[in-house]
Amino acid sequence: MEFLLTDDQATLTEGVREFLTGTHGPEVLRRLDEEGNRDPAIWQSLVEMGLPGLLVPEENGGLGMALLDAALIAAECGRACLAEPLVDTAFVAVPWLMAKGETGELAAIAAGEKTVPLAHNINGWTADGNGEALESVDPLRNLSPLTPDATDDELLLNLGALMSSAQLVGLASAMLDQAVEYAKMRNQFGQPIGSFQAVKHHLASATVALEFAKPVVWRAAQAMDDGQENAAIHVSHAKLAAGDAALQMAETAIQVHGAMGYTYEVDLHFWMKRSWAHIGAWGSRAFHTKRVDDAVIGGAMNIGPQHTFG
Amino acid sequence: MQLNYTPEQDAFRTEIRQWLADNVPEKPLLTLEGEEGYHQHVEWERKLASGNWGMVTWPEQFGGRGLDLIQWLIFEEEYWAAGAPLRVNQNGIFLLGPTVMEYGTEEQKSRFLTPMAKGEKIWAQAWSEPGAGSDMAAITTKAVRDGDEYVITGQKTWSSRASFADWGFGLFRTEEGSKRHRGLSFILFDLNSPGITRRPIRQLHGEPGFAELFFDEVRVPAENMLAGEGEGWNVAMATAGFERGLMLRSPGRFQAAAKRLVDLYRTHEANASPSAREAVSKAWMDTQAYAYNTYSVAAKILAGGKIGAEASLNKIFWSELDRAMHRTAMQILGAAAELTKFTDGSINQWLEGYIFSLSGPIYAGSNEIQRNITAERLLGLPRQGAG
Repeated sequence: MEFLLTDDQATLTEGVREFLTGTHGPEVLRRLDEEGNRDPAIWQSLVEMGLPGLLVPEENGGLGMALLDAALIAAECGRACLAEPLVDTAFVAVPWLMAKGETGELAAIAAGEKTVPLAHNINGWTADGNGEALESVDPLRNLSPLTPDATDDELLLNLGALMSSAQLVGLASAMLDQAVEYAKMRNQFGQPIGSFQAVKHHLASATVALEFAKPVVWRAAQAMDDGQENAAIHVSHAKLAAGDAALQMAETAIQVHGAMGYTYEVDLHFWMKRSWAHIGAWGSRAFHTKRVDDAVIGGAMNIGPQHTFG
Repeated sequence: MQLNYTPEQDAFRTEIRQWLADNVPEKPLLTLEGEEGYHQHVEWERKLASGNWGMVTWPEQFGGRGLDLIQWLIFEEEYWAAGAPLRVNQNGIFLLGPTVMEYGTEEQKSRFLTPMAKGEKIWAQAWSEPGAGSDMAAITTKAVRDGDEYVITGQKTWSSRASFADWGFGLFRTEEGSKRHRGLSFILFDLNSPGITRRPIRQLHGEPGFAELFFDEVRVPAENMLAGEGEGWNVAMATAGFERGLMLRSPGRFQAAAKRLVDLYRTHEANASPSAREAVSKAWMDTQAYAYNTYSVAAKILAGGKIGAEASLNKIFWSELDRAMHRTAMQILGAAAELTKFTDGSINQWLEGYIFSLSGPIYAGSNEIQRNITAERLLGLPRQGAG
C-alpha cells in the first residue's frame, strides 16, 4: 500500500508543465481564437515530446506508460488549456484500441501522424472530427455531429470520463492561480482585494474542493490500470469530484475577477468554458451520480472503513 | 502508486479484527461526555492497553507497538468498522503524545507517554480563555517562575474532558509583559493540584463535556514544561497540526458513519427523495476522498515529508463532511430526528452525532481561521490591512 506518486511521475509531470507554460500561454489561446483553433506547430512540439505515444506499447514505437501517468499529463493539458486533440487520441483512443486488440494504427498515432475522433453516443457530438461544425461556447473546441459509427462502448466512456476528470483538475488549478494573482494585484479600498476575508474564504473553499478531488482522480486512474472490479464507479466519483471542484473554482474565479471576469479580454474565460465542456462531456453529472448511487446504495459495492481500496 | 496491501499488512488487519471481535462491548457505552460514560470509556482504554493496542505507532518502550502510519490506518479502519467506543484519551494519545515525542526530554517521555498509552492518565486540553478563543495569542493566564516551580494564576475555559480528566496541558504566559505569540510556554499540569477549581460546563447535549478551570497560585514543577520557556507557541502549533492534520480524525470513523447512513437510507427508501439519495452517496464519496487524502499524507510522511498548512484543508474537509452527513441523517429521520431515544428504546445516535458534528467546524481552530491560514500560507494572499 503506497498512495503516492513516484519521483518519475513528478519529473515527467513537471517537464510537461514547464514546456506548456513556456510555449502555450494565454497569448497562444488568443492567437488560436483569431486564427483557426489548431496549429500544426503546437501538435509537432507535442509529438517531439513523445506524448502521442505515451500509452502506445514500446513495440509499436511508444513509451508504454500507464493510465495514471497519462492522467497526470492530461491534468497538465488542462492547466495549459491545450486545444490540440492530444488527450482524446493518445490517452482515450489508444487504450481503447489496445483493449479491442486493434493495434494497426498505434505506430502512426505514436508518430503523431494520426488522430482519432471519438464518436460516443453519450456526447452527441464528435470532437476534432469531420462534418458541419457545431458551435461550442468554448471558442477552441472543434465539434461536429456524431458519425453513424458512434458507439455506446462502456470502456470508451470510462476512459473519456477519467481523462476529462484529469483535465478538470488542471483547469481548476490554473483558474485558482489566475484568481489568486488577480486578488493580489487588484486594489480597492486602498489594499489588495485578496487581503479581505470574504475573498480569501471563497478561494480557500474552492481550494479544499480541488485538493480533495485530486486523489480521487489518481485513485480512479490506478483502479483502471489495475483492472479493479469497480473501476467504473471510481471513475464516476472522479468525474463528480473534479467537475464540482472545477465549477466551484470557475464561479469563484470569475467572482474574484469582478467585472473584469465578465469580459472576453481576461484570459480566465478560456479555462472556464473548457471546464464547462468537460463537466458535461463523457457523462453528465446526473449520469455519474446515478452510477455511484446505484452501486453504493444498491449494494454492488463493498463500503465502509475496511473497503477504502476494494 | 500501490493500492494493494502487503501480506504483512493483511495479517495485521486480521489480528486486530479478531481482537476487536472478542473484546468490543456488545452494548454501546454511555456518552463519554457524562460522568458514568466517562468511566466506562476509561475502562475501555485500559482494556485496549491490556491488548497492547493503546497507540500502535508508539515505540514499544512507551507502551506502543512501533508500527508505521499505514498500519495505524488499518488499525483505525478495523476499530471503527467494529463499532468500538470513542477514545476518551484522544487529547493525550493523538495530540499531546506526538508533541511529547517531538519536544519532550527522555525523562518526560517515560513519565508521560507510558501512562497515556496504558489509559492510566486521561488528558484534557486547556488552550482557550474567555478572551482567547480563535485569537489564541491573546492568552493572559500567567505562569511565574519561583525556584523549581511555576506558579499559575488565571482562567481557562471550554477545556475538553477537564470535568473528569487527570491531567491537562496548555499555553501559559511565562514572560511578564510579553505580547501575542511571544513569551508563551507549554506546560503540563495535574488537574488535582491545589488551587485548581473545575467548573463543569454543560455542552449542547446537556453533558459536562468541557469545563472552566480557575488557577489560583497553582504550583507546577518546572520539569513539566515542554521545550523551553517562551517556545510554547511553536510547540502548540505542532500539536494543532496533529489535530487538524492527521491523527485526530481518522477516515475510518467517517467511513463507518457513511456506511450506517446508507443503511439508514435503505430502511427509509420508500419515502426518501432523490436529493436524499444523492446526499447519501455523496457522504460515501467524501469519506472515501478523505481516506485517499489521509493515505497520501501518511505516505508522504513515511517518505520523510511533514504536514504543513495543508492540515487546514484537511480540517475544513472532515468537519464539514461530518456535519453534512449527520444533517442528511436527521433529514431522513424526519419526525423521529428529535427523539433522544427511538420508540424501541435505542439511543438516537444520529442526533448525538449531529450535535457533536456542530463542534467540528469550531474547535481545533475554527474553520474561518483555517480558511485564513489556507489563503495566506498556501495561496500566498496578503494579511488583512497589509497593502
